[in-house]
Amino acid sequence: MRIVFTGLGAVCGAGLTTESIWDAVRTGRSAIGPLTRWGAPRCPVRHAAEVVGVGAHTLVEDKKLHKFLSRTDLFGLYAAKAAIVQSGLLAYREKLDTPTAKRFNDRTGIFVGSGGGNYSSNYDFFPLMTQAGGNLQTFGRELDSSVNPMWLLTHLPNNVLCYIGIRHGFKGTNACITNQCVGGMLALAEGAAAIGAGEAERAVAAGHDAPIEPETVLHYHRLGLLAEEEVLRPFDLGRAGTVFGEGAAAVVLETAEGAEARQAPILGEYLGTGCVSEGTGIVEVRPDGDGVKRAIELALVDAGIAREQVGLIVAHGNGNRASDASEAVAIRRIFGERPPPVTAFKWAFGHLIAGSGILDVVMALTALRKQVAPGIPTLRSLDPALAPLPVSPTAQPLSGNIAVVLSRGFGGMNTALVVRAAAEAVQ
Amino acid sequence: MPRRRVAITGIGMVTPVGLNAPNTWSSLLAGRSGVGSIQTFDARGFSTRIGAEVKDFNAESMIADRRLLKFASRPVQFALAAAEEALTDAGIRPEPASSSRWGLSVGAGMIGVAYGELESVHEFCAPKGEFDADGLLDDGYPADPVAFCRSQTNAGLGLLTRHFGINGYATSVHTACASGGQALGTALKVLRRGHVDFMLAGGYDSMLNPIGLSGFCLLGALSTDNDTPERASRPFDVTRNGFVLGEGAGFLVLEDWEMARMRGARIYAELAGDGNSLSSYRITDSHPSGDGPIQAMQQAMSDAGLAFEDVDYVNAHGTSTVMNDRSECAALRAVMHSHLQHLAVSSTKSCMGHLIAAAGAVEAGVCALAIRDGIAPLNANLIQPDPECDLNIVRGQSRPVRIRAALSNSLGFGGSNSCLAFRHPEAVAVGSEP
Repeated sequence: MRIVFTGLGAVCGAGLTTESIWDAVRTGRSAIGPLTRWGAPRCPVRHAAEVVGVGAHTLVEDKKLHKFLSRTDLFGLYAAKAAIVQSGLLAYREKLDTPTAKRFNDRTGIFVGSGGGNYSSNYDFFPLMTQAGGNLQTFGRELDSSVNPMWLLTHLPNNVLCYIGIRHGFKGTNACITNQCVGGMLALAEGAAAIGAGEAERAVAAGHDAPIEPETVLHYHRLGLLAEEEVLRPFDLGRAGTVFGEGAAAVVLETAEGAEARQAPILGEYLGTGCVSEGTGIVEVRPDGDGVKRAIELALVDAGIAREQVGLIVAHGNGNRASDASEAVAIRRIFGERPPPVTAFKWAFGHLIAGSGILDVVMALTALRKQVAPGIPTLRSLDPALAPLPVSPTAQPLSGNIAVVLSRGFGGMNTALVVRAAAEAVQ
Repeated sequence: MPRRRVAITGIGMVTPVGLNAPNTWSSLLAGRSGVGSIQTFDARGFSTRIGAEVKDFNAESMIADRRLLKFASRPVQFALAAAEEALTDAGIRPEPASSSRWGLSVGAGMIGVAYGELESVHEFCAPKGEFDADGLLDDGYPADPVAFCRSQTNAGLGLLTRHFGINGYATSVHTACASGGQALGTALKVLRRGHVDFMLAGGYDSMLNPIGLSGFCLLGALSTDNDTPERASRPFDVTRNGFVLGEGAGFLVLEDWEMARMRGARIYAELAGDGNSLSSYRITDSHPSGDGPIQAMQQAMSDAGLAFEDVDYVNAHGTSTVMNDRSECAALRAVMHSHLQHLAVSSTKSCMGHLIAAAGAVEAGVCALAIRDGIAPLNANLIQPDPECDLNIVRGQSRPVRIRAALSNSLGFGGSNSCLAFRHPEAVAVGSEP
């Protein structure tokens, strides 16, 4: 069975549409800039790739929903809607009779990678904690008068899943994956697997996150994971850490048969996934790239392709010394001395954590359609320890119509996903 | 290629009614309640002051690695202990040569930050109630990287894979009260795909802390029967008035059926089917008609190759809230037709409360034990059945039943509905090919 992409959506600091984000990437514009949503004068990291100047109503037009949603939910719902609109699913459903439309909804899966709980959600309790002065009995008694009764519902990690269903009427098999950075990528993989196993005929997959919070920034910095410089330099000799971004990306997946029958736009093809754990604990990565290597190998087998067919590698490339180095080792271990062109996108819109992998897939599909590997303009000189690694500050031609996208995360997680350009793009 | 069958070969539990699976199971069969006044913090000012706490838990007695435990929150410690029990029970565990053939699928709770850590942030950043991030940079602020690691959404996944040496597929899901069921459903699918041969799968949660309790008190979702805690959780009783918040963990070892048979493993039951739907109705409830749970149950039976007449026991979600129990009954009525009065139904939340993200995993273990022992556990505290819940509920005492197949429902806030289908191992041996 062939599974294809028929809708793509994204929002991040670099733009509110996949096209505008692609333009930023292609022209070398990074969205990383000064923090505007909060300040801490003594904080050594004062930059990120924020979504700036975009009101809640632009992301989710229904104002009644706003009081039930957190910032990350707005991003997720926005990207999902963009993908659904592009796919034409809703217009198609409108033409169906009632029983067929009901079956259509029951056979449409929803898979979301969510950043999960954030830190600032708990800050809604601070006025109450001040009032209680450390006395939990007072805290309990005054709770109702201080905290929004809907507090819990506003912060459910699975809100985006819930409201994609309520807003668009889809009711099929579903999951909300809270596996930190790889959540969005796994949502896409599980959506495709559900279609492959016949549990759904189509699926919406989204990943969203809003990690730019004071506690997260400070702790990542203390762990040596964040760049103090206002730039993310993957694979560079001088790379010094990652930079947070925020936002979401989403895709609509369906069987090629279904997409062709309703004459939907075909934006690319899903081929396979590999997902493994390195079993290293919470933050550590293996220096030998074991997890990345095994994830790529499994993904190629799952996709049924040979490594020589890969024409583009979209690396996780988060700018961390250990992560980038182990990724380069893994690429070399699989592809030898002459890997296909390698690029990475986080320099342009930061690290979206649970939204990062799926946004990279959306960009990879765009790169395959445009038949170019965008350059990494922040790359000054490749770390010689990582050579040979075909990364470039400028655009490179693809060496084929298949891309491998890598996404890695805390918990020793490593995923690789394989996609192919839509047939018409590579004639 | 014929679809792979999946055997349940190990069970582990840490619950309010027992620190392991055998003790939990005997408590449930006897109808012993795990609900009492909350002891782990001063809840006397809250509208609900009762909960189903895990009592006398000592992680060190199960897990020798003290350094690992420092990185584990209370619910992750439950998870490590329950997983250890499940692996020991199964008589097989990951070895260096098999590590990449083992996967992990967990349903993890939503609360990562311990209340004590929130108090530190409050003290330094918001003493007057208004948050100022710069307080985090004060010299005295106890910035603790270990606490930060503990609070990560997939910290449990990281520690479980590291401690047990699991190197294959690993995932962590959260769909509120459906999380545990969905984690097991995901594990079943990953095994069927052939990406691994063994899955450690389960759920863990504790919202029994000031913030978690507040969240549910604010919604008015909890029973306020503070003076009669043991009677507070009474699913399907007409006087029910909310659920009782519990905590704990449940884990199962799942493996390829033929491989389990070949190694002579004791098989509790087959995890035979998964059904999974979204209600897309309201965030807290499914439709009164049962729409949503209906599709989940139908899918689970169809996935398992079961007809509704084959089902002898349903472990209901049965939270003891007015709306859940009614909607779930309507769904059972819609899928079970004339068979409705012939199958035993119970909600074990009547004894152990609602374990939220762990509930579906523990209750899956309950179904496997019910199949092994041929006994449907009691739905405690059912005195006056709600006439709208016209089910054959296991009342008074646990009931001997030969269970050919069982279902376990988990219906979550946010509208996710999970139904798992289990089959008696001999029902598999005589060959009811799905």
